Amino acid sequence: MKLFITILFTFFIAATAISQSCTISFSGHVEDADTKEKLTGAVVTLKETGMQIITDEKGDFIFTKLCSGEYTLLVSHTSCDSIIKKISFAKNFHLDIFMPHARKVMGDVVIETKIGVANTGFKKELSGKDLEETKGLSLAEALSKINGVTMLQTGSTISKPVIHGLHSSRILIINNGVRQEGQQWGNEHAPEIDPFIAGKLIVIKGVDELKYGSDAIAGVILVEPKPLRNIPGYAAEFNTAYFTNNRQYVVSGVWEHQFKNIPAFRYRIQGTFKKGANASTPNYRLNNTGSEEKNFSITLGWKKEKFNTELFYSYFAVKVGIFNGSHIGNLTDLQNAIAAEKPDDVFLGERTYKIRRPYQDVSHQLLKLKSTILKGEHKFNVLLGGQFNHRKEYDVVRSSSNTRPQLDLSIYTLSEDINWEHPKRNNFNGVAGISMMQQDNTYGGRYFIPNYFAYSFGGYVIEKWSKHKWELQAGIRYDNKTINTTRLRFNGSLVNYDFNFSTVASSFNSIYKATDLWKFNLNISLASRAPYVNELLSDGIHHGTATYEKGDITLKPEKSINISGGVNFQNKQKTFQLDLLLYVNSINDFIYQQPKPSTPVLTIAGAFPLIEYQQTNALLSGFDLSASVKAHSNVEWQSKISVLNARNTSLKDWLILMPANRLSNEITYSFKNGKGISDSYLAVEVLNVMQQKNIPDESNGKQDYKAPPGAYNLINFNAASAISFGKTKITIGIGIRNVLNTVYRDYLNSMRYFIDEMGRNISVRVKIPFNHVYQ
Amino acid sequence: MAGVLITSCKKDKPEEPNDNEVITTMKLTFVPVGGGTTLTYLFDDPDGPGGAAPTQQEIVLATTKTYNVTVQLLDKTKTPVADVTLEVQSEPTAHRFYYEPTAPSNIAVSGLDNDTNGVPLGITSTWATGAVATGKLKVTLRHYPGTPPNKAIGDLVSSSKSSTDIEVEFNTKIQ
Repeated sequence: MKLFITILFTFFIAATAISQSCTISFSGHVEDADTKEKLTGAVVTLKETGMQIITDEKGDFIFTKLCSGEYTLLVSHTSCDSIIKKISFAKNFHLDIFMPHARKVMGDVVIETKIGVANTGFKKELSGKDLEETKGLSLAEALSKINGVTMLQTGSTISKPVIHGLHSSRILIINNGVRQEGQQWGNEHAPEIDPFIAGKLIVIKGVDELKYGSDAIAGVILVEPKPLRNIPGYAAEFNTAYFTNNRQYVVSGVWEHQFKNIPAFRYRIQGTFKKGANASTPNYRLNNTGSEEKNFSITLGWKKEKFNTELFYSYFAVKVGIFNGSHIGNLTDLQNAIAAEKPDDVFLGERTYKIRRPYQDVSHQLLKLKSTILKGEHKFNVLLGGQFNHRKEYDVVRSSSNTRPQLDLSIYTLSEDINWEHPKRNNFNGVAGISMMQQDNTYGGRYFIPNYFAYSFGGYVIEKWSKHKWELQAGIRYDNKTINTTRLRFNGSLVNYDFNFSTVASSFNSIYKATDLWKFNLNISLASRAPYVNELLSDGIHHGTATYEKGDITLKPEKSINISGGVNFQNKQKTFQLDLLLYVNSINDFIYQQPKPSTPVLTIAGAFPLIEYQQTNALLSGFDLSASVKAHSNVEWQSKISVLNARNTSLKDWLILMPANRLSNEITYSFKNGKGISDSYLAVEVLNVMQQKNIPDESNGKQDYKAPPGAYNLINFNAASAISFGKTKITIGIGIRNVLNTVYRDYLNSMRYFIDEMGRNISVRVKIPFNHVYQ
Repeated sequence: MAGVLITSCKKDKPEEPNDNEVITTMKLTFVPVGGGTTLTYLFDDPDGPGGAAPTQQEIVLATTKTYNVTVQLLDKTKTPVADVTLEVQSEPTAHRFYYEPTAPSNIAVSGLDNDTNGVPLGITSTWATGAVATGKLKVTLRHYPGTPPNKAIGDLVSSSKSSTDIEVEFNTKIQ
């Protein structure tokens, strides 16, 4: 077998099929050999026939009507080194292809193909067409396209992801390999990440979580940029979008380059600007709901055969207005606002981009240096990260000459991760690593959480074994975290508390690929999360909810046992696919906020209901089911169901603020590729969200101000088409969210008490890529 | 960014927290019309919201008398003590005090001072007492966050245009 490296970079639209009376089909599946991710958009060519296919979002391809014989197979992908392989077949044939992850410079011979079980684990991914449809939306909005992921919102401008009912510090967000450390504990603190950085968004559960922490009780979100360019030349991509409802426009661009004479050096520059005006519900426009976002990032890479290093810097800055009709002085105000059918006219109707108090002004900077050293077949990774997060919240103040923020939080984080990947021996491969983190948090203005220093160190080992139809993985991780807090009171006295927490996590995952069509997956994970500083020491009025929040310094780490089972089926013709995930997450000492209706806190602004952080045992169980049917070569129907039951088992009651069950049905019509026009489709989605009826019992006092809003149905529309102008393929997309302008409120939006959700929003997006390869 | 990383390594002292929106104390000063001793009554929460419970004095006034009343707001968490009334005074069109006696307190409040648009502000007011009685009187400071505030004479204390900065209910005694 003779192997080469070839470069293919032109994306052809359609292949010219050779019509013969041959009937063999050749199918395959392309994966990244390192990350085990399905490779979408890999170009697969059968040289002798001139046939060329681009892999679909599952990394699959199929050639039909082939004659028996010997062929040369070429596979190339922008993230990977290309491969060439001689194959021959006399009957229907399937090949799994593992693409080397652009490990070596051009000219080296690298090939790694094997036929075996693919590692999917519990991983859900947003990439390709689905990710494109979310261009211009926030990270959480994009992620909520994944079945099982929902959003926790504050109005239309602030949203954060929720996985199987859990959010905030129970989800680790890994931004380009670095664990995001911002003020993620707050319900109105959205992740400080530009989604345009991502080549794909991945939600993982199971063994691979252990690389990032022992506290991923809900899961890990990976924001993965595309790898740097691997072929000398340059490329650019320009994205722009406009949304009619809030007149939001987005401009994003990326430029990447690899020099001809120093191919080891590559770089990428990326930037995004986004600005939105006041958003409108079907019946009224909400004042002060604009937003403005400015982001950029620079990546520099140096890659030699044995050494690879990457320096990445990103800057994220956002200013978001918060609807000022929800500004609450005390409980009476809140009750009046809730009782009103709609907010007062002084808070409605303004068409402007201007942002006034109350608003948030948040910036996040990340600097990371990642180096990989190859020593024989051993691989060592060293990752150094520095992050600075600055959050300023500007409340409505008495005096308009006051220009200061009322809450001012700064958090500096340094992190160091070193790991070692050993080569595959006796069907085993694995990784072991240590990680450390130092963090300094300071506050100014209103007290909510104290100043603190936190130090943590941890280590993990993960081993994977695979043979034939089985793949087993297991891992263990230990973390120790020290937190030293200081609060200076106005009279000069210091209030100090020190904490130390040890947490252990472990995970076991097994995959059994019964046949090419059936796959079974079982995972058992133990995770443990130390309480956050806000849960220990918050002490103050939360103005958004008119409650007095109080932490508890005696909280212990919460411990979860998560058991997940998955079944994956696809028929031979690949016209039917089914994906089922069942899960049970039992959390001991689950930290939650318990309203204390009998002991209100009296202040000069009146009495505030007290809410205390407490621990209980919780059981979250449910399933995500998705199925797709290709009824016709052009028509595909996809259905997704997500069901969750969240119990407070100690109190034999339901847990508050859990996402309602939902069902989504989508029909996509794909058009045949025409002359210069390709990848055209129309899609209509009907989303049904039930009313959340499983809420805490109120017989012993009020737990919420208002019953959860009713069920709602939304119709969404998406269409896109790619038009070729010479070598440039421009993609144009149109989306309509809430086509029927339905009036609705969502239980997981803290503004549900006061205002309706956004009305119809029509968006237009354009993507212009450009690519040049040095000859 | 490098500078940012260097500062993060330094061990720094906690800075004085500076919540510029705290009101700890409301002080009502009563000057009897036609002479007599000046009276003061307080709602006092010197450590701000939370912590130690606030203390609240009973307002004790003489029968059938008229008082010129001035309200003062203080922030005792600041050194020296800050007079928050000045902030209210500097933006009179965005603030309004309400005085709501509950029967049978036998107190009538009138003569509130006006803002620059002729709409009541209420930093000063006139209280007239009747016969011997005990009751309650609620003092509310409302803030109009809108731009413009659109404050109008007819606005009720529960107006959806404004929100509450202060809400204190005093026990009252006419003797």
